[in-house]
Amino acid sequence: MPVDLNILIGGAAGQGVHSITLPLAKTLMRQGCWVLGTQDYQSRIRGGHLFNKIRLADQPLFSSREGVDLLIALNQETVALHHRELSPRGLIIYDASEVKELPSSIPALALSPETLLPEAQGKAEIAVNAGACGAVLGLLKVPLGPLLALLKEAFEDKGREVVEWNVQAATRGYEQAGAQAFGFSLAGVSPAPEPRLLISGHEAMALGALAGGLQFISGYPMTPWTSLLNAVAQRAPRYQVVVEQAEDEIAAINLAIGASYTGARSLVGTSGGGFCLMTEALGLAAVTETPLVIVVSMRPGPSTGLPTRTEQGDLSFVLYAGQGDFPRAVLAPGTPAQGFALMAKALNLADRWQLPVFLLTDQYFADTQFTHLPGEFPEVRVDRGLATGPAPGVYQRYAYTPDGVSPRRLPGFGPELVVADSDEHTPDGHLTEDLAVRVQMHDKRLGKLKGLVQELGGITSAGAPDAPLTLICWGSSLGPVQEAVARLQAGGTPARMVHLSELWPFPAAAVAAALSKSKKLVMVEMNATGQLHRLLRQETGIKADHLVLKYDGAPFTPEYILRGLSGVV
Amino acid sequence: MLPIELYEGLETAWCPGCGNFALLKAFKQALAELDIRPQDLLVVSGIGQSGKFPHYLSCHTFNGIHGRTLPVGTGARLANPDLKVVCVAGDGDCYGEGGNHLLAALRRNVDLTLVVHNNQVYALTKGQASPTTDQGLKTTLQPQGVPYLPLAALALAVSQSCSWVGRGSATDPVHLQELYQQAISHRGFALLEVLQPCVTFNRVNTYQWYRERVYRVEETPDYDPENELWAYQKAKEFGDRIPTGVIYRHPRPLLEESHPALAAGPLVRQQPERDINQLLADFF
Repeated sequence: MPVDLNILIGGAAGQGVHSITLPLAKTLMRQGCWVLGTQDYQSRIRGGHLFNKIRLADQPLFSSREGVDLLIALNQETVALHHRELSPRGLIIYDASEVKELPSSIPALALSPETLLPEAQGKAEIAVNAGACGAVLGLLKVPLGPLLALLKEAFEDKGREVVEWNVQAATRGYEQAGAQAFGFSLAGVSPAPEPRLLISGHEAMALGALAGGLQFISGYPMTPWTSLLNAVAQRAPRYQVVVEQAEDEIAAINLAIGASYTGARSLVGTSGGGFCLMTEALGLAAVTETPLVIVVSMRPGPSTGLPTRTEQGDLSFVLYAGQGDFPRAVLAPGTPAQGFALMAKALNLADRWQLPVFLLTDQYFADTQFTHLPGEFPEVRVDRGLATGPAPGVYQRYAYTPDGVSPRRLPGFGPELVVADSDEHTPDGHLTEDLAVRVQMHDKRLGKLKGLVQELGGITSAGAPDAPLTLICWGSSLGPVQEAVARLQAGGTPARMVHLSELWPFPAAAVAAALSKSKKLVMVEMNATGQLHRLLRQETGIKADHLVLKYDGAPFTPEYILRGLSGVV
Repeated sequence: MLPIELYEGLETAWCPGCGNFALLKAFKQALAELDIRPQDLLVVSGIGQSGKFPHYLSCHTFNGIHGRTLPVGTGARLANPDLKVVCVAGDGDCYGEGGNHLLAALRRNVDLTLVVHNNQVYALTKGQASPTTDQGLKTTLQPQGVPYLPLAALALAVSQSCSWVGRGSATDPVHLQELYQQAISHRGFALLEVLQPCVTFNRVNTYQWYRERVYRVEETPDYDPENELWAYQKAKEFGDRIPTGVIYRHPRPLLEESHPALAAGPLVRQQPERDINQLLADFF
């Protein structure tokens, strides 16, 4: 019988929901499970309700799913909000000092700080958090040793006493759960011969940036983008990256443009409203042909919207932001491994084509932890696309060339002067009002799209290659759609997923070819209006038969997508 | 000393008699005097008549957008501290549109020079009030007179421990050249405001008006630019008498020194190689 188990850990912000999730998820991943961890939180520092979900399976996982098999309740509210999601084999583990009322029909295991950690009264949080981790392993018949090792590692810098408390509470939690009957067991799952990774989308992109030679990153904190900035910043001292926290997003992008003009590989990022502020300098990067990678991590708008939730609502904004026409590239990874590869690709594309390259992510992608194999993170090739050797004649930063890419030199590396201007300019970079030059220079810039599109594809397919039913999606929807397709196939309905991760310039020919055999097209998007659908129609004339859309701020689940297909399938 | 012709740029498009001519000449003389080769200098500008300044020079040039000279210059400087970076802005550009960047630059103390061309008016857009326009002055957009107090930018800079604060005037080009030299040579963030008459849109703050008011602060007996309170008093003085010269000096650690990545030399000279297995190690 295949293992597929959903654990939900809920409580108020500050109660330690993450302190349970992280060691538990990692221990179970090391024990051979495929783990997928999601976060659901509110825009507050203390209180409120937040929960994490850990889905475990003995097969590769691409998506979270609905339902709960094991509910870990740190407060009463968690029980009230989530007990109805429990499956028939479900169980509640609860903090007995906080939870006083339980539904009588559901088996439950009480954890009390007094019995978990009698030697340290007043350390209830450590007791319950470590105790809950131990209890889960006890219920699932998983050895305790790896968790204890991980807790020792995690709390080493807090002193021997704290390590000891964690170990004792985890051990007692493990023992207390041992006698409790539970309908799930991981006894048959053993550590994989090759170690796996547990990594979030933004963490993987940070690694992609570092592997891709990143030297400069600037940003202003904003959820959900911040986790990428943090992931780079934590590694910056080791890898010689300059990290600047800017006074606002306008400064952030101009800092990165200045660093990139001078020659540092540069990255900037933001979310929603922050990108509104960056739009001004987006055109500056474009007209000065300064390479720049911009991460826009989406959350539901308009305006402040739902700050900590997820949506794919900024595709149209990013495609068209800025005054005038100029070339750009837009990429949207679907998995951490894709995020890693596309980040490295974005840095190369920006340098080689001297233009802004976007990476679109969202809160679900940013925070969700996926299990990957290390082989999915290969060595990265760095292509700076710089001109070398002495310039023939007088150097012109914006010399006309057949592909629109002018030889790029860096200030301070020779006698050539690098002149860049936000005004329309002559090939030597100086401002001009010669209207014929304007047309030539505009054509030069826009002409890059012809070559750039040749480097894009990014189509991932899954399911039956010639199934009449095709679900089209992009970015972080990959996992839920892939699982929905797998479930359709398992239920006898031939189906196929076509996922796009490279959206602009739109690889129209490749997409049209990929869809040529489909009889019924369904767009699956996390926004209210079908933004990719509009792009698909605009670029290929292909119109979907049905749209499955979601814009309530919570991520897609395979179940939601399947419900959206009722009447179509 | 390098020949001044080295810095010759495009033909200017300023109005005849514009205060900017004196600034351009004094700036070139200062560069020549300091032996700064064009290939070692980056001038960043924004929008306005000051924005055109680097086009009339010969050097690395980044003519960006309105108000954003400081972040571009800061990014450039962090990427390559071998370059001398001068940010040129106008009063509207730096004190209005880019005000937040000025506040941040005062805190950062990156080693670059900010020159603010202050003509107390928006000239390129034809005569509206700028953040430094005198209160009460009637303009096309403020026919009843400007209701706001002018920004005391130098006093703001002193109050925030700006590393170097000075003021020059187009009416005293010899003094201005010295100030350019000092500002550019200063180690740390230097704010040099230059009074620059607009002959077309500002009929109040004219050459004559400035000549009658401007004096050299170093002629004040015992004036000490490292005395913060005294500097603050001088920075606030703008009316019947207007001080020019080095108003304030306050040596501080550089932003560049806070970035461990720069200890190994300029970023642009480094060739980062990161081992993928080392990167992945945290996630097993």
